[in-house]
Amino acid sequence: MPQPKRALRRRQRLVLRYPVTAWERFYALFLIPVLLILVTALLFKNYASPSLSILPPNASFAYIGMALLHTFVRLCVAYALAMAVSIPLALLVESSPLMERLLLPVFDIIQSVPVLAFFPVAIVFFLRFGLYGWSTVFILFVSMLWNVVFSVVGGLKVIPNDIKSVASIFHVRGASYFLRVLLPSVVPYLVTGSLLAWAQGWNIIIVAEVLHTYIPGASDALDLFGIGSVLVHAISQGRDDVFFASIAVLVLVIAVLNLLVWQRLLHYAERFRFD
Amino acid sequence: MPNASDSTDLIRLAGVGKTFSPTGDVALRDVSLGVGRGEFVCIIGPSGCGKSTLLRLIAGLETPSVGNVVRPDRVSFVFQLGSLFPWLSVAENIALGLRAKGVRGAVLEKDVLKYADMMGLGAYLLKRPRELSGGQRQRVGIARALAVEPEVLLLDEPFSALDPKTTYELHNDLLRIWSASHVTVVMVSHLVEEAVSLADRVVLMRDGTVERVYPVALPRPRHELTKEFSDRVLEIRRAFFR
Repeated sequence: MPQPKRALRRRQRLVLRYPVTAWERFYALFLIPVLLILVTALLFKNYASPSLSILPPNASFAYIGMALLHTFVRLCVAYALAMAVSIPLALLVESSPLMERLLLPVFDIIQSVPVLAFFPVAIVFFLRFGLYGWSTVFILFVSMLWNVVFSVVGGLKVIPNDIKSVASIFHVRGASYFLRVLLPSVVPYLVTGSLLAWAQGWNIIIVAEVLHTYIPGASDALDLFGIGSVLVHAISQGRDDVFFASIAVLVLVIAVLNLLVWQRLLHYAERFRFD
Repeated sequence: MPNASDSTDLIRLAGVGKTFSPTGDVALRDVSLGVGRGEFVCIIGPSGCGKSTLLRLIAGLETPSVGNVVRPDRVSFVFQLGSLFPWLSVAENIALGLRAKGVRGAVLEKDVLKYADMMGLGAYLLKRPRELSGGQRQRVGIARALAVEPEVLLLDEPFSALDPKTTYELHNDLLRIWSASHVTVVMVSHLVEEAVSLADRVVLMRDGTVERVYPVALPRPRHELTKEFSDRVLEIRRAFFR
């Protein structure tokens, strides 16, 4: 049924008065949650501290859930850092043919080095500053980074020339060009890259929290509390109940995240895709 | 010389050439052309003859390798497939250039509604480009281009992907807007009939240069079934296909 003209006009005015732009959506969907998670991470007092060398005899689902939450926060912090670094890196690659020729081969070599090769060096480095818990975040960050960088570079490459020309004709430049043209254009690639980055992160976490294995003679008191270390300790201590419960919780959470976050984001990102 | 420029022209190209690096492909050579204020000029020619490159030079999207291009600052462009931002609504697409100019609030609303209504888009302001037909998308592209109140409107084969009925309607809309605003129009087309039905002058290009300029002194509205129209089309078509 056609809407009355006045009502339609009112709606039109609302659209322009309160424009929900791509940037605002990005802000709401990515930045605010990431900032909240960062604040949460800072509030975690035992965030970087070791807390288990022996599993408690009464390790419950709440205990496993808490371990998973610690891991999740680490992943969120690493992801936020990866996002903050990867977008400028991708823009730098695409800024000129020369930069692309210089940087892409370097990135290609670095990303092909197994991420755990950096781990002993990272642990020693962060230990020196009393922040060894951050070595896990660093390794997660490195493992996530390249997925996002290469996805965003791919996204920047397929922006149609006519769209860039439109921006030029209508004087959309500088920050406005970044927020109104570049960033929305790469949203589908950013989401795909993020999905791969998180998958990589979940893979790495199993070994990234068990820090003592990378330092000769170190005790397992050095390990970080999280689902990865709980799994490893459960196996080494013969606690099959904790192991299977942890695996089940991990699979469930990843499945729920996939269903409620990634599938929705993938669907949402389609509206940013050029025909 | 029919294609030479005049000092009173709004757009002047003098001895313009364009060579693309690093391939060295010559897109334009020794193009001299003038377009007067309020004139409607159509550029036609075979594929690859440099029509779009010429238009992009006038728009300032390319710089000439040799020669000189004089053009006003307020130039707007309508692209072949609309080139709309898929994540923005029709209203926001139309508002793009206005926002970049710093127009905000009630003035922005008024201008967007004015140009949306002008192009018959009043009921589609909240839609996204993907929800529109090809003709509606092109209307949004034209509304967006007009909203910044350009002195020169450049159109690069804007109707080539549309059905005949939509093309006919858009021809009429374009002529109505042009006669009301007296904006200078330079349009690239690959159809001789389209050029003759719209333009004051038809510029025939070949091999990167202007081969000949044909004035079209027929009164508007022009009817394709009249002898004068057919004669003009045939004359240009003969040169086009030679």
